[in-house]
Order: sequence, then C-alpha cells, then structure tokens
Amino acid sequence: MTSVPVDAGPPRLQRAIRTPEGETFLRGLTGTRVRQNGCAAAAYAALYANVDVITAYPIRPYTAIMMNLAQFVADGILDAEYLHADGEHSQFSAAFGAGSCGARAYTGSSGVGVTYGYEMYSIISGARIPIQMAIADRTLDPPGDFGSEHTDALCTRDMGWLMGWAATPQEVFDKSLLAYAIGEDPRVLLPQMVVQDGYFVSHIAGEVEMPAAAQVDEFLPPYQLPFPLDPRRPVSHGPQIHPEQGPPLQLERARAMEDAIPVIREKTDEFARVFGRRYPHFVESYRLEDADIALVISGGHAVTCRAAVNRMRAQGIKIGMARLLWVRPFPGDDLRGALAGVRAVGVVETNLGLGGASYGGILSLDVTTALYHLDGPRPLVTSFMAGLGGETVPMAEFDWMAGKLGQAVERGRVEKAAHWVGFED
Amino acid sequence: MTHQVVRQTLPLLAEEDGRDLYYLPDLPEEDPYAAGHRTCAGCGPAIQYRWVLKAAGQDTVVAGPTGCMYVANSTYLCTPYTVPWAHTPIASGGSFTSGVAAGYEAMIRKGRYPGPYPNILVMAGDGSAADIGIGSISGALYRDHDALFVCYDNECYANTGIQTSPTTPYAGMTTFTPYGKAIPEGKKLPPKNLARMMAEGHPHCYVATTTVGYPVDLINKTRKGLNHVGAAFLHCYTPCQKGWVYQTSMTVELGRRVVESGLWPVWEYDPGERAYRYFHPPVQRPVTDYLAMQGRFGHMLPEHVARTQAGANRNWELIGMDVPQALRDLEDPARHQRLADEEYSMPVNRGIGA
Amino acid sequence: MSVRGTHVPEHLRLPIAGVTPPPTEKEGQRLFPTGNFRFYRPVYRDKTPPCNHACPTGEQIQKYLDHVKHDRYLDGYLTILEDNPMPAVTGRVCYHPCETACNRAVHDEPIGIRGVERFLGDFGLKLADNPVKPALPPLNGQTVAIVGSGPGGLGCAYHLRRKGYASVIFEALDQPGGMLRAGIPAWHLPGEVLDAEIAKLLDLGGIEIRCGVRVGDDPDGVTLGYLRTTYDAVFLALGQDVGRRLDAEGAQARGVIGALEFLRETGLGRPVTVGASVLVIGGGNTASDAARSAIRLGGAGGNQASATIVSLEAEDELLIQPEDLAQARDEGVLFRPRTALVSVLTGEDANVRGAVLAAARLARDENGAVRAQIAAGTEYEVPCDTILVAIGQVQVLDWLPAHYTGHGLVMADESGRVPDEDAAVFAGGDVMRGPSMVVDALGDGKRAARDIDRVLSAEPLRPEDPVEVMPYEKLNPAYFRHAPRIEAPLAPAAERRASQVTEVTLAYSREQAVAEADRCMSCGVCNGCDNCYIVCPDVSVMRDTRQNGHYSIRTHYCKGCLVCVQECPTGALERVPELDFDEPGDVVRMETAFAPYEGAHAEQAPFTRRLIEDAIAEYDRSRSIDPNGPGDTP
Repeated sequence: MTSVPVDAGPPRLQRAIRTPEGETFLRGLTGTRVRQNGCAAAAYAALYANVDVITAYPIRPYTAIMMNLAQFVADGILDAEYLHADGEHSQFSAAFGAGSCGARAYTGSSGVGVTYGYEMYSIISGARIPIQMAIADRTLDPPGDFGSEHTDALCTRDMGWLMGWAATPQEVFDKSLLAYAIGEDPRVLLPQMVVQDGYFVSHIAGEVEMPAAAQVDEFLPPYQLPFPLDPRRPVSHGPQIHPEQGPPLQLERARAMEDAIPVIREKTDEFARVFGRRYPHFVESYRLEDADIALVISGGHAVTCRAAVNRMRAQGIKIGMARLLWVRPFPGDDLRGALAGVRAVGVVETNLGLGGASYGGILSLDVTTALYHLDGPRPLVTSFMAGLGGETVPMAEFDWMAGKLGQAVERGRVEKAAHWVGFED
Repeated sequence: MTHQVVRQTLPLLAEEDGRDLYYLPDLPEEDPYAAGHRTCAGCGPAIQYRWVLKAAGQDTVVAGPTGCMYVANSTYLCTPYTVPWAHTPIASGGSFTSGVAAGYEAMIRKGRYPGPYPNILVMAGDGSAADIGIGSISGALYRDHDALFVCYDNECYANTGIQTSPTTPYAGMTTFTPYGKAIPEGKKLPPKNLARMMAEGHPHCYVATTTVGYPVDLINKTRKGLNHVGAAFLHCYTPCQKGWVYQTSMTVELGRRVVESGLWPVWEYDPGERAYRYFHPPVQRPVTDYLAMQGRFGHMLPEHVARTQAGANRNWELIGMDVPQALRDLEDPARHQRLADEEYSMPVNRGIGA
Repeated sequence: MSVRGTHVPEHLRLPIAGVTPPPTEKEGQRLFPTGNFRFYRPVYRDKTPPCNHACPTGEQIQKYLDHVKHDRYLDGYLTILEDNPMPAVTGRVCYHPCETACNRAVHDEPIGIRGVERFLGDFGLKLADNPVKPALPPLNGQTVAIVGSGPGGLGCAYHLRRKGYASVIFEALDQPGGMLRAGIPAWHLPGEVLDAEIAKLLDLGGIEIRCGVRVGDDPDGVTLGYLRTTYDAVFLALGQDVGRRLDAEGAQARGVIGALEFLRETGLGRPVTVGASVLVIGGGNTASDAARSAIRLGGAGGNQASATIVSLEAEDELLIQPEDLAQARDEGVLFRPRTALVSVLTGEDANVRGAVLAAARLARDENGAVRAQIAAGTEYEVPCDTILVAIGQVQVLDWLPAHYTGHGLVMADESGRVPDEDAAVFAGGDVMRGPSMVVDALGDGKRAARDIDRVLSAEPLRPEDPVEVMPYEKLNPAYFRHAPRIEAPLAPAAERRASQVTEVTLAYSREQAVAEADRCMSCGVCNGCDNCYIVCPDVSVMRDTRQNGHYSIRTHYCKGCLVCVQECPTGALERVPELDFDEPGDVVRMETAFAPYEGAHAEQAPFTRRLIEDAIAEYDRSRSIDPNGPGDTP
C-alpha cells in the first residue's frame, strides 16, 4: 500500500465533542459574571476552547492555570489529555507534537521556565503549528524572584510567535480565545503567547463575563491544520534544507507575521460582534487626542497608569497613555497613529534589555524604531524602568515619569535614554 | 458519547523453529522507508529504520529527532518516508512523541479522528536517547504514552562527525575521545546501559534490545512494542561504517558478532512478569573477533582488550551463560597483543579491502 | 511592510514551512538518485553446487532439494527427470558422490541426498500419469540401437526419446535391467521398483526392449554390422557382467562360484544353492553384496549361514561403500582383511570343503593389475562349503572390431564416441570406464543421447562448458544452524538376514525428506531466501518473483554498499566494479552533494500551497454558509 495520491485534499478533522459534564458546566456559566483571577480566567478560556492536549509543568505563578485545568479534567468537565511533562522543554515539545497532528494544544510557563524551553520557540513558529502558551510572567533568575517582569516573554520576541499582554482577568479570558482564532486561521498559522502580569493579573481577581459555549464555537472554528501528521495523508515536517533554501522559508515566516496584522483586526472585530466586547485592534489610545506627553505601556500596570493619567489630566497635564495589546506583530502603524502630535513619549519598561541601545528595556527599541518612521515631526523618546522584580508601580511614580517628560518637552531634549524610576531624584 | 479508542495488533513473524536462519517468507511487503535517502552506503541505522517501518506499516506516525536519521534521510528538503513524519529537536524525541500520542488519544475520543489509533514511533539516536533527550524519554515512558521509542545506537554522535556519546564503548575512538600518549585508550569511560535503565526505571513498560544482525528479531520486537498498550522502548545496535571504520559490507555481520562476543546482550523485558528473557547466541566468541574488525578500536593495547573481555564475561554471567575457560583466560592482559596485531576469526569476506 | 515587493525566483518557491510530500515506494525519493554513490555493484551469478558437479549425470540436486524444501514434490520429481529417468532406483542404490562432495559436510554433516531422491522417485512411481509425457516431442523417424538394458542403455533410450528419437534396446538376458536386475540384490533394489521404473520408461513410447537377444558375431544373430547399417546410431552399454576367474589351485571345484554369476542368477529369480559357510574372495562392493546375499540364502535359508569376506585390502582399504560395510557388519558378515586365498580344498565329492588362506598384502604388477603379495609361512586352513569369487569384472569384447577396444574396455573419446568413420557409435558405462557406478552409466547414456543428436543433426560435438564449483569457504555460514543429518532408517538386522527381499534401507518419511532437504545450503545458487532483499538499506533489491530467487538491483538507488553480497548465504551474489555508469537514464555521477538540478525541490511547492489554499477556501466557505451552524462538515 503506498501513500494516498497527492491530489487528495487535507484530511478533515471534525469538531471535538464535549463531555456531558462539560456541557452542563458551561451551561451553568453562561451569562454569569465570575469573580476570578487571571490564572483561572485562562483555564476557563481553555475549557471553552475545548483544548485536546494540555502539557503542564509547575513553576510559579502560572501553575494555577494548570491546577485549574487538572481539576476540570479530573471532574470530566474537560476531555483532554493532561500531560505532566518532565520540564518545560519537554512541555513545549509535547504541545508541538500534539499540535502537529491536529490536536488543539495548550501549554504555559513563567520566568526561567519560559527560557528553559527556548529552543522550541523558533521551531514551533517556523513549523507553523498554532499552539497557545499562557505565560504568567515572572522575573528571570538570578536570583529566584516570584515577582512579575516582562523579560521572560519579551526575550522570545524574535522567535515568531504572536505575543501580547492582557491587563485584566477578563482580557486574559478574551485574549486566549482571540489568540486561538487568529493563530489557527489558515492565513496565519502561528503559535501565540497570551501573557499576563504575574501576581498583579494572575492572582488578583476581577470580574469575568462567561459566554455561551455556542458563542465560542461560532467564533472559534475547529482547529484544521492544513498538513497534519495524519496517516490518511502523509507528509514530512521539517526536512533538513540546503542553505540556498533558507531565505525563501525565512521570507515566508516574515510574511506570516505581517499577514497576521489584518487578521488580528478582522478577528478583533468579529469578537466584538459575537461576544459584545470591543477591544482596540492593537493599541488602546487613552486620552491621546490632544496629549503633549504620552506613556507607552503594556500589561497590568496600565490599570494604574490609566488612573494616574486621569488624575494628572484633572490637574491640567495634557498626558495620555498608549497601551500595547500586541507586542508581536509590533503595531507600528497603529502606534504612530496613536502618538501623532505627541511631543514626548515615555516607554514604561517592566523588563530588562541589558546592553541594548535603549540603555534599559526592550520595548523602547521597537517603539523608537516605529516612531523613527513617522511621517512628520518625531516626538522625543525616553524610557522608564519601573515595576522591576514584581514591585508595584504606584501613581506617584507615574507622576514622576510625567514630570520628566514635561521637562524634556521644555528643554527640547531628553535627559537620558532610560530612567531608573525610584533611583533618581 | 465519547468515542472508544480502538488499537490495532500487528502479527508477529514466525521465529526460526528449526529452519536455517534465512528464508523469511512472512516479510511484510510494504516499505514505508523508500529509496533515495542520503545515508552512507551500508548504514546500519538505515537498515534498522527500514525494518522498523516495514514492521509498523502505513498506519504510522513517526517522529525523528535530530541525528543522522534526520539529516541524512531528509537532506535538502527531501523525504524518504511514505508515512507522516516530523523532525523534532534532538532532546524532544520523547516529549514530541508524547504529544502526538496524547493528541491522537484525545482526537479519537473526542471524535476528531476516526481511528484506529495509529502506530506511533520515535526513532532517536543514542545521542538523543541516552544523553540530551534521556529525560524526555524517561518522562514519556513514565507517563506510559502508547508509543514505541526506538533508539538506534551507533555508539556516537555520528551526524556531527563522530563524537562520543554515553553509549560509546570503552576504548572507542571518536573525535572527542582520540587516543594519544596521555590517554592511550582514547575513551576511558565505559558506556551507560541505556536499555537496562529504561527497564529497571519504568517497570510497567515493554523494553527490549536487538541488533541489525537479526531481522526477524528486530521486526518482531518492533511489533511487540507497538502492540504493547503503553510505552515501549527498543534499543537497537546499528553499526556506523563512518564512525567505526569497517568495510561497508560488514554491517549485518557486526550485528551478529557483537552479540556473539558478549558485548551486547539481546533481551526482552516483560512488564507483566517483571522478568528478563535473554537470548543465548549459539556461539561465544572472544571479544577480539569483534573489536579487530573495526578501525575505531585499532589503537587498543593488551590491557584494554583484556578489560573489554572482562566486561563481556560479566555480561555472559548476567544472561545466564557459562563463561568458557578460554574466555576467562582472556581477561589476563598477558594473553593479548596490541589489537592491531591480534589474530581473529574472520568472517567470509566478499567485500573489498581488509 | 517588509514583504511587499519581494519576489522569490521560481526554483526557490518552496513548500510552506518546508512541509514535504512523501515519495512513493515504487519511485523512491526521485530527487536523489543515490546510485551515483557507488563504486561497486552487486550482481547475481549462480555458480555450480558441488553436488550437481559431482553427479555423473548432472542432476540439478540443489534445485530439487529446494523444491522438496517447499513441498513442491512434483516439481522436484520433474527436475530429477531432466537428467535421470529412474530416481526410485538411484535413490536406493547410488553411491552418492553428491553426498561426498556436499559442502554441508564441512558445516556439520552432509545432506542425505540419496534418501530425498528416493522419496521423490517413490512419489513419482505413485503418480497416475507420467508427468514427462505431455511435453514429449513427436518421434522424428530416426531410431538408435542400444546394446544393453542396464542403466546406461535405459538412460540413453530415455534421453533420446525426449529429443524425439526412437530406440531399440538389445538385452542378452531374459529380463531387462542389466546390473540393476542381475547384479544388485533385491534387498537393495526390489524387483518391483525396477519393473515400475522400466514400465514408466516404456510408457513414453518409442522405446523397445528385446530381451534374450545377445549382440555378437554370430552371423545369424544380431551383429554390430547389422546395427550400424540398420539404425541411425548405436550406443554400446554392455556393462562388465563377467567375473574375473580365480587363478588358484582347486578353483574348479564345485561350490566355487563367481559372485557376479551368483548375484545374476539370484536377481533373475533362479534359485542358487549356497552353503552355510561361505567365503567371499574380494574387497569391493560385489564381495559385500555377495556375502550379504549368501547370508540370506545360504544354509537352506533360515538365517543360519555365515559369510566371511577375504580381502587383500586392509580393513580401512576396503572398497566397500561405508554404509554398506556397516550394514554388512550388523548382519553378521565376518572379515578377514589382508588375507589371500592360496588354494581351494576339495572334498571327496569334488565340492569345496575349505580353503588355504595366508596373510597377504595388496600389490600391483607392472601393468597395474592387482596381485597378492603373500607372506610366506602364514598359511592356514579354514573350512567352508562355498566360495564366491568377487575379484573383478570384465566383458567379452572379441566380437567388436579391434580398433573399438583396448585394455579390456571399449575405447571412446572424451565425447564417448567410438572411433568409427562411417557410423555414429557411442559407448558408455562400465564397458567404457571399467567398474563404475550406476549413475556413471546414466550420465554416459544422457551425454551419448545428446551427442548422437548432435551428430545426426550435423552439429559439431564440443566439450562440456567449464563450471565454477562453489566451495564451502565462500558461503556465509552464519545463516545455517547446526543440525545433524537424518539417517535413513534401516530395517532391523535380524529381519534383514532372514530375507532376500526385505529392503535394508527404508524410506524417509515426508517430514524427514523435507527436513533433510531443508539443510541444503544451496551453494552458489540463488534460492530466493530474501536475505538480500531485507538487508538492503536502500530498498534497491527488487523482488520480481518470490520463488527461487529472481531479484533485480535498482541501480538508480543502489549505493554499492555490498551488504547484500556479504549476507548472501549461498554466495550467488557477487560484486563487480563500477567506475563508469552505463545505465541509461538520469543516473549521473554528481560532482557535489547537491541536488542534481536547480529547482528540483520547487516541484514540491505546489503541494503545500494547494493545501493552504484549500484550507483558506474551506474556512471562507464555512464562515459564509451559516454563521451559527457547524463549520465542520466532513
């Protein structure tokens, strides 16, 4: 028996069925508002998405996601293979394996767990297998520190995954479903990192509105990898290539990342239509219409930042906030649109990019590059190292940042590339 | 509502029951490992790959961690596999396959795949299985995923140009263990006993060893491993002409000699009985008959040969065979010359060169 | 946007993510014709197994053993019949030079070929229809005269008939069979079996045996001249059925009988009186057969006779077939080796009453003839009442032209042709060779038939083609287990002594025949074991048929690793150097390791593009049909 003829189309995979317990549980949730933290919200989203394979390995603070899912599986609410891997590298490899044969795979990690499996990121995105990784971010060693920093996820930014932070448990829930829909779309086929601030989002409760299973089914079609490892339709994944074949494949990966941009817009609008919650496509523009100064920020500290902006506006300071909902693909167009007319921009960096041109963090590298291509007068750009190690960023520190930005506007130049908030006068 | 996962059982070939050791009438017809792969001429792992896939058949999903059987087989965006196959990073043999196995369990139960549950295989080299990927395979065996984990052991990292791996034998020369004045044996360390680790450490799994000297044995153990519901591990001895420096035509002969000289016990571990079944070869050779055929041992001095013989004799005892006095005597270095000067029983030689 | 405006050249448009379509088993991975790796190429070349080579009638022993191994008895039988018409006979009486040559003797013990041949011969006798008959050509109108209906004459007649020639066999005795009837005892070769084989032969048509006709120089009888002029060719297979006379004092006494005469009369069913105390003079097979027959017949039967073989040969020099010697001992035959008969002692009734024996040594005179070198002073007397003389065979040849004969034999060239300018006259068997085996005569008859056909078709005679015989050292012994030879069972000695007709050697059962045939190593001949097929790492040994080994090498991919050659148990596979490539097609020696042509891999690109496009189209379809319905129709 030889292989199926080449003209046969890809094998069709049916929508996964739910268990009776699962259906009952989801029916009970429909239309309710549940008070839960970001970890639980992620687990609930995975439940709604009826994931097939979950690969778990414990590391704080994301572990709670997997503990929630373990209970769902044990109770028969979710029918999934729950695989407790022997390390993060194995964890991601197993998810990759499951995704490669057509199973919807879900995994996650934090901190050095994220970096332990680093080898796998380029492989999985290059192979175009759209698994989802839930990251509750955490400072990287050394030494051990449970607190939140964005470096763990950000240092993988070049590896070709879709990546973005959710600032609240509701957004964690919504973004997880959205990420699957975008990543699994046949025009995209990229894995996704749905990131939330460790502790601040992962372990502080917020209200999450639960949809109907049917809404999720409408929004999220069955995972249909066009070239799964399926005996009905054999293919080989990942043969060794000749160097000359490298550039076209790399070009294709770049194209996939760029093709993701219109799909993100489309799916975000669709999400609004199905669930009634509308998110900006890429950038939350908060009070930027007439702002002189602006803070660019990502993640849970944006909640405090919003409050700080409101207070400063009340004092007459023309300040606004641009929150990045997606870091990869980096939304250059949207950010430029949001910051047009702003005279000084401060990037809030809850991360560490040692030795870089920003002399501080990672985000400003992308922000500065994006602003360099502005058609028109470019704002001054500096960055603020804040919230490192899992520290809070209190309103006073945002005030301080605004002060620096104001000074920069007056002087016509920034004092320096990166300010270490709390360690300077 | 939940669909049942139906599994398939592959029939075993009749073992030689009094017939001579050739004439294999029940060979499966399929060759999911097609021609046109760029392995070396006479590649032992390629022979083994062909037999394993022949045993498994078309309803199979294969994972191939980085190694010779990745790079040489799938060079330049080609593939010799007529079954679905995926490359995995070298450490991910066990874990990727765990994902595939878990994926199929879930997809069949949840109605996404009609079934039956396919054969799931990973073909890892010794570098992958015994070294960088040992944790991943141990995890997979521990979690008892229904798959067969095959290690093709060419006793080195061959793909990267022959470096030492944990299964490189004592005194085996590689580019990381060359011999020289300061280190006359080249490799000072004896190898890990990978298969034994897997059996002892995961007593619920089917574990077996085999070589490319015995096609029926290899095919049957592959099928037994695939039939076993749960994780199975098969450790295959597969000579590498490039790394071991021997005539390309001698690959299968070496597969027999290594067993007959006591350096590679062939056994099967039965998880039901928690017992080992050892193969007793019809001939017990001195280790020189094996070592002298390979250039990678050519530098061995008498004490090195004697030590290897001692190791072989312990293996004979382990598998329950008497150690002939002649072989006991050969534990004495005084009985040996430098390996390059030793006489040994040569096989019939139809190849080229010495 | 970075990808806007990019353009990938045609030959680099690759599958998405490198996902690659599979090859087919039949074509392999076409992009890599790995045949260009090789410096050697395997080829199949059958050599001659030593058994085939040793068989004087050229039986394809390996081939029929292979048939039996696989339960194809009819095929095995037909294989023998290509070279030997009477396997039920040879399977009982042949001295099996094949077994002596058998390579398995080096490995453990030789194959019991004769027993398997007997199994097939008996199988053939039980067939309702003669399987050779349907393929026989019609008679071509030519007839050959054959003198002697022993194995030589019968064999020649058979092979001639297979070529379309009729024959008339002139047999001096009143029953056909020659030495098969009148030399080999019934307990070795039962008369019924011989009759059945001869009947099968006659059933082919075109063969006539005229018994009771002695060809000689009687002008009223059948002469050589008559044969030469009446028939298209002549084959002389007279045998040597005349016993050499004992040249000793008292040799004329009654009770001194030629062993050959004794065996002949017994074989023709005429009773012979033999005493109870028999001496047999001679150290060869005739002596052994005579002694054993005497035990059965002598002393008024009833198992009372004794027989002693008196030979110049020492025990280890006896020319008796080893198994016959062992059987003789079991039956109670006694031996006096290194002993000569000096004189016969006669009683008052002119009957033998004893003999004077002496210690002696076998010596040869200046002509090479056997002479006794008696040690003086060692004479002693033994009583006996019969002396059977088995000291050699000769033939009466004085009726043949002088230029036909020499040294007591008919002279023939290496084609077996007798020097005769005007007629095609051939000879074979004992009369040409001196005392030889049944199978020698069969072989001579076969070759004579072939050469008679050549002569009558005006084709030149030519010598046999040289063959390459396969020695044990060139086999791969790893594939052959060690298993003892299954000896053919023997009837118990006590039963044997008591009866002239109880067969001494019994048949293999079917299981035994198959098991014994299974030990055949098929030296030098491919027998389809599939070893080469299975060990090839490059799937380049193609099985065209599965039976009896037809394989071809797929040179497009074969890398010349020679593992198949090494692992061929029989040595049928060899290597030849390959430095040029003369295969037509696209096997080109690559200078580098890269793909043979630019853009080769781009052929695979449309494959995944189509998969992606199908997936997108399906997705779009599923979104537009019914937003609330299932997007997952099969």
